[in-house]
Amino acid sequence: MSEQQQSEMYVAREKIHPREVKGPFQHLRNLAVVVLLGIYYGLPWLQWDDRQAVLFDLPSRQFHLFALTFWPQDFVYLALLLIVAALSLFFFTALAGRLWCGYACPQTVWTEAFIWMERLTEGNRQKRLRLDKAPWTRKKILRRGGKHLLWIVFALFTGFTFVGYFTPILELGQGVMQLSLGFWEWFWLLFYSVATWGNAGFLREQVCIYMCPYARFQSAMFDRNTLIISYDEERGEPRGGRARKADPKAQGLGDCIDCNLCVQACPTGIDIREGLQYECIACAACIDACNGVMDKMNYPRGLIRYSTENAIAGKPARVLRPRVVVYAVLLLAVLAGMGYSISQRVPLSIEVLADRNVVYREVDWATIENVFTVRILNKDRIAHDYALRVDGLEGIEAFVQDDRIRVGAGSTDSVVVRVQVPRDKIDGPGQPFQLRLESLQDPDVHVTNTARFNGPRD
Amino acid sequence: MASLSNGQDERKRRLLQRYGTTVWPSFLVAAVASVVFFGNIDPETLQVQTLPEWNISRLGGYTIGFFMFWGVGLASSILCLILQKMGNRPT
Ligand code: SF4
Ligand code: SF4
Repeated sequence: MSEQQQSEMYVAREKIHPREVKGPFQHLRNLAVVVLLGIYYGLPWLQWDDRQAVLFDLPSRQFHLFALTFWPQDFVYLALLLIVAALSLFFFTALAGRLWCGYACPQTVWTEAFIWMERLTEGNRQKRLRLDKAPWTRKKILRRGGKHLLWIVFALFTGFTFVGYFTPILELGQGVMQLSLGFWEWFWLLFYSVATWGNAGFLREQVCIYMCPYARFQSAMFDRNTLIISYDEERGEPRGGRARKADPKAQGLGDCIDCNLCVQACPTGIDIREGLQYECIACAACIDACNGVMDKMNYPRGLIRYSTENAIAGKPARVLRPRVVVYAVLLLAVLAGMGYSISQRVPLSIEVLADRNVVYREVDWATIENVFTVRILNKDRIAHDYALRVDGLEGIEAFVQDDRIRVGAGSTDSVVVRVQVPRDKIDGPGQPFQLRLESLQDPDVHVTNTARFNGPRD
Repeated sequence: MASLSNGQDERKRRLLQRYGTTVWPSFLVAAVASVVFFGNIDPETLQVQTLPEWNISRLGGYTIGFFMFWGVGLASSILCLILQKMGNRPT
């Protein structure tokens, strides 16, 4: 890319102060902001039984999600969850364009929240623009200072909440009060606060324009039936100012009165009338702004509206396209699989490790013995006693120190198991056999692992 | 849209663009990599096996791991940026 092209791509602009607009889409967006932030800030405070309902307990490597507890052994669910997230993003993007960007992306949501605080302290768009240019008077210092104070407190609370997903938030709160948090907790609290403050307070739309990978590759999921925000050029052009009572047809004008409100409302500072641009985060602020103007002019609404390329070209719009169906089917399949396997999950897992030093031992002339360590993970929320059984080789027998293997709720334990097989039943090393562990309290709780028995070659 | 007003804006834009193509993507990749890596590997066992004389908590282990991933990604992104710049020189 030449220098010149670069400078064309990255056109200089002053800080964008989006104009506040009112309208159904902005109500929806505000609602999304309130709901999403409410969930974010509220969730860690929720208790379930006697612990935090949602807690990624990193120090003990468990993840609590309401009644469920996941362990590192359940990593597959995390992987599936990432796949589900990616597929949903594909699905919704194909269907409705950048819904995510406009309504749900944390970048947008926190930016909105920060703009509210800005509006509260520095006033509306005109006031803010004037304040930017004003000399540093007492009033400016107060307003600016107030804004930053609000931002910083909010950012710190955001960082605190973030760490609260990883350390029990009540303890965390006490730790903060008594200044007794561990180093790493402080570190993440401040790191996340600074990131929030920087991204939502300063970088804002520049994250979307310069940094976000999704913004760059979302167009690959678009097709001619994807919902986009568009300006009806046919109807709007030629644009131009006019008196409210004037008949635009007589003046040879389209419906766009060139008031520039759509540009002022745009949080990324683009002019939607120039066509769909990758900077557009589909926030629909321009729609609301323009509809307001259309109402005032007594023109029909929808000069800027949600539409599709096909609809604009006057072709029939289709919702169910192959790619949408494919994404949907994949998504449902993964979700169903995940739900099923979670419901079938047994709260027990074992790992069978052979003794590394001694491959096999001859107990007497007729019997060969292998020693295994069985690591038992009781993922349940009650203690269990387990019985161990071996199977799969003729005459195989297992001996454990205690007949009852008791493992407490949510803990691990290792038992040494001596497995014996008659010599004449062995042919060669690496014979597979099954080791089965079953709870005495609940016969549904059982697992079977395959291990290998080693003996001499004849 | 505003036109190129002065050199300062231009520099700020460049800076942002560089930030956007290095720091940010490597951050995202590091986040995913940490989840995948530490989902499977316990930093405590790593520490016990490799640096037994150090005393690093699990949380510390995750943090160090995350920043290591980020650092590696960042280094690669920066190299990319430099190489790509040189590739633009007319030959
Ligand atoms: S462009 Fe990226 S950062 Fe911006 S709103 Fe969309 S997903 Fe979020
Ligand atoms: S062009 Fe309209 S929908 Fe797109 S970002 Fe700007 S205001 Fe939002």
